[in-house]
Amino acid sequence: MAQHSSSAACVWIPLFPLRCEEARHEGLVALPVALLAPDTTRKLWQVSSLARHAGVKPGMTVSQAIGLCPTLRIIEPDPVHYDERFSQLLSSLNDVSPVVEPGDLGLAYVGTDGLDGIYGSQKRLVEAIRQTVSPSDRPSVRLGLGLGKFTAWVAASRAKPGEAIVVSPGEEQKFLAAQPIAVLPLDAGVHRRLRQLGIRNLGALAALPETAVTAQFGAVGKRLWQLAAGRTAEPVIGRIAPEPIVAAITFFTPVGERELLVHSLDQLIARALKHPRRIGWRVHALRLHADLETGVGDEDGGRGAACCAPTRSWLANILLKEPTADATRIAAPLRTRLEQSPPTGGVERLILEFTAFAPGTTELQLFARDAQAAARAGQQRALRSAAREIRMRVKRAVLYHIIEVQPWSRLPERRYALIDYEP
Amino acid sequence: MVAPARAPLRTDRLRTLNAPRLVAVELHADGSPAKVWRSNCNGDGQEAKAAVEAVVETVLEMWRIDDEWWRQLISRRYFAVLLEGGARVVLFEDLVTHEWFMQTA
Repeated sequence: MAQHSSSAACVWIPLFPLRCEEARHEGLVALPVALLAPDTTRKLWQVSSLARHAGVKPGMTVSQAIGLCPTLRIIEPDPVHYDERFSQLLSSLNDVSPVVEPGDLGLAYVGTDGLDGIYGSQKRLVEAIRQTVSPSDRPSVRLGLGLGKFTAWVAASRAKPGEAIVVSPGEEQKFLAAQPIAVLPLDAGVHRRLRQLGIRNLGALAALPETAVTAQFGAVGKRLWQLAAGRTAEPVIGRIAPEPIVAAITFFTPVGERELLVHSLDQLIARALKHPRRIGWRVHALRLHADLETGVGDEDGGRGAACCAPTRSWLANILLKEPTADATRIAAPLRTRLEQSPPTGGVERLILEFTAFAPGTTELQLFARDAQAAARAGQQRALRSAAREIRMRVKRAVLYHIIEVQPWSRLPERRYALIDYEP
Repeated sequence: MVAPARAPLRTDRLRTLNAPRLVAVELHADGSPAKVWRSNCNGDGQEAKAAVEAVVETVLEMWRIDDEWWRQLISRRYFAVLLEGGARVVLFEDLVTHEWFMQTA
């Protein structure tokens, strides 16, 4: 069961991927640096402050950026490394509080309910959180504490690098009222419309009647108003960390044939995916290890980067770029590993372990057995969302289901009727 | 517990679909409809704003229903017709009240 905390601390390391690169490449801090986008656009994703001073901006092409800043250092992205670093950060934050909720890369919320009793004061709590951040990131981490995730996030976003802002209980409305509307989670269209209406800060938005904002902007407007007015405090919801799922197969005689190992691997993946604990979770990290036949080729043990055990075993640790519940995607890197650096002897026992998970998406892909089912689920969800939005705006039923009443009737008006559509 | 996929049926929330609309009909000598006037009602269906005339081009089909004689007799003479302009509708005469109604086909 997920743990909740209404008091939150927001830990934000802006430009986290760039900070990761600076941490592993010495001297990068002193250079104008730009990180390429992890997609195929070859455009700039994140830009250091030195590069920004030279006029380089995210979204530019490499040639545009080099034209503006010839000394610009362009770096290829390494999303796996960033994920690993972020996972380490979350794991460290778990030492402070059991309730940790990840946000975007470099952003995490820590549930702070009850921590005052452990740390004695907010100051000590802030310091404890700061200590969980790696030394290289400490100068840039911003912390915000307050009731609910939004207040904590706004506080963190207003804090100076390396500092913290604590919003005391009861002070939320006063604190939020002075903040610009840009701190709200809104898209460019809504932001533009709010500015056209002369609304510059959260106080101005909260001063409007909730119903008027809802009528203008629908469900989004209602949520924005509630956030701006401090009427809602979204709790931090801790991640449930499922126990690793293990599936193993013992061979009657040691197996050295690649095909047979791959076949066994597929069986293990299918078995592990069917495990009830996996439902609702996508696999993020896995480990495949093999107990090798003893007494043969001992002098060759531990060969290769992936084959690391001198005690006659073979191990491959895989961190998937994208968490998935698809057997083929899970198998792909393991097959490659088996191909490139196979076990150095006959395998007596093959063990597959799913070691880390990511929550399943809301697209029901874990349960949808085929693409059509997933598409239907998506359409239904879109329909429900649109119906809720319409109902919220017009405040009366305008959408109906057609239902059968007496489909056999000879009188046409008795065959079908309309009923309010309530998704 | 899994919630039922459909909302519970409440008869007070039912709205009729394809309800007959009262029309005025000019008849041929053989009793088949020649012209139809229907009132162009507002949203509440109360205030008639103007009558709309449509000429019946063809009678596609006709039939009669006599039903529910054991409670309140339903006796209707139906005409599936094609109106000028291509609309296909169903007209019927209530043989009890001698009123004409129109429904979608």
